[in-house]
Amino acid sequence: MNDPLTYQELAALMKKGAGVSVDPQEMESRPASGFDEYGLDSLGLLGIVGVLENRHGRPLPADADRCKTPREFLDLVNHTLMTGA
Amino acid sequence: MSTRKARRTVVTGIGVVAPNGTTTESFWKRTHEGTSVLDRVTREGCEHLPLRVAGEIRGFDPVDLIEERYLVQTDRFTHFAMAAADLALDDARIGRADYEGDPFAVGVVTAAGSGGGEFGQRELQRLWGQGSNYVGPYQSIAWFYAASTGQISIRGGFKGPCAVVASDEAGGLDALAHAARSIRGGTDAVVVGAAEAPLAPYSVVCQLGYEDLSVCDDPARAYRPFTADACGFVPAEGGAMLVVEEEAAANRRGARVRAELAGHSATFTGASRWEESREGLARAISGALREAGCAPEEIDVVFADALGVPSADRAEALAIADALGGHGKRVPVTAPKTGIGRAYCGAPVLDAAAAVLAMENGLIPPTPNVVDVCHEIDVVTGRARPAELRTALVLSRGLMGSNAAIVLRRPTATHA
Repeated sequence: MNDPLTYQELAALMKKGAGVSVDPQEMESRPASGFDEYGLDSLGLLGIVGVLENRHGRPLPADADRCKTPREFLDLVNHTLMTGA
Repeated sequence: MSTRKARRTVVTGIGVVAPNGTTTESFWKRTHEGTSVLDRVTREGCEHLPLRVAGEIRGFDPVDLIEERYLVQTDRFTHFAMAAADLALDDARIGRADYEGDPFAVGVVTAAGSGGGEFGQRELQRLWGQGSNYVGPYQSIAWFYAASTGQISIRGGFKGPCAVVASDEAGGLDALAHAARSIRGGTDAVVVGAAEAPLAPYSVVCQLGYEDLSVCDDPARAYRPFTADACGFVPAEGGAMLVVEEEAAANRRGARVRAELAGHSATFTGASRWEESREGLARAISGALREAGCAPEEIDVVFADALGVPSADRAEALAIADALGGHGKRVPVTAPKTGIGRAYCGAPVLDAAAAVLAMENGLIPPTPNVVDVCHEIDVVTGRARPAELRTALVLSRGLMGSNAAIVLRRPTATHA
């Protein structure tokens, strides 16, 4: 249940929730690239936060939907999932 | 230098997504042939509801036309609007290269009667079925009246004046007038119109409260305005988007000028007060003629509102006579919407599109399903009527009491 979120899964969530097709390997290899470069808007990221919160049955930090890059988002989500009770 | 007053608004592009055609060409073919496509309601979840007959858009797959990232965050009404806007821009031969240097020169105006009911229903069902955590964030923008304007603007990169007109069904015409005001104020072009998607369960249930809705189950008899058998109106999906431009800007671009938006006026006479709509509509007609500098005798064809409610039909026939005098009894009146239904705000924009096409083709499309007119107006029935058409009057009323009229003119030879 608390396995870390991968770029692969993030790409699938972006596709399903926001209709954005992105190559997970590209996201991984360009850590500085922002969600906006991939065409994901703030509401799209907010939707992904909601899906993850429902999946794990726990809230993510309030600033989760303000992450600018996939790398930043994965770090925050996985840190929360690993350290949380 | 042209003065502000001289900035005239012309139509250079037409895009139609209607029950009788999802291209402007197929729409016009079925419209002038007088084909009725009214049929039993088949949209999922609507089959058992008391609304039996409507104008559905079938065979429209937005996946073929709109990028996925726009599809997931929009309702069907916005899918129609985006598709119609693409058609209108193609027709006008406007591409990004034309406005990339000045994206603020192009604006977007739509009118909306109800917003995104289907999207909204899905998310509200999640709210009550699973909880607020399961409502997607795009709900916040998808069911909103303004969604189509916003998405067309974002998708096309149009940064000029954007607006949404929420003034009832006649708002479709008010949107055209709003675009003309933007153009008078300095905007070069506006993508303008309306499309609606009222055939989804939640939306249909809302409409069942309208006493003027036809619940007749025979597609040939459900919507017959101006006859003794009039029993209400039939709703429809879809609408039309136009590209309107400042005349000199259109000419500089070498665009084909299809018509001039010469005059508009709107009045309000209250919900379901059809007798009073006589005066309101007559005043709107007179105001539109005045703005267009047009004498009543110059009107060559009237595209009627044609609600299909006896008191409303009578009021409209009298309003035409009040405003046009003796000419009102002679001028051909048509209501092609009897073959497709009323797409709320989309309906008068479809009529405006049909009016431009009628003027270009010298052909007044007929009023399907209507025979034995019981009012003193010359309704074109049966088949299309050839006629030299220079000026058209388009009328619209809304169930909540708005009345509006526009005057469209063929371009003069020097602009053609």
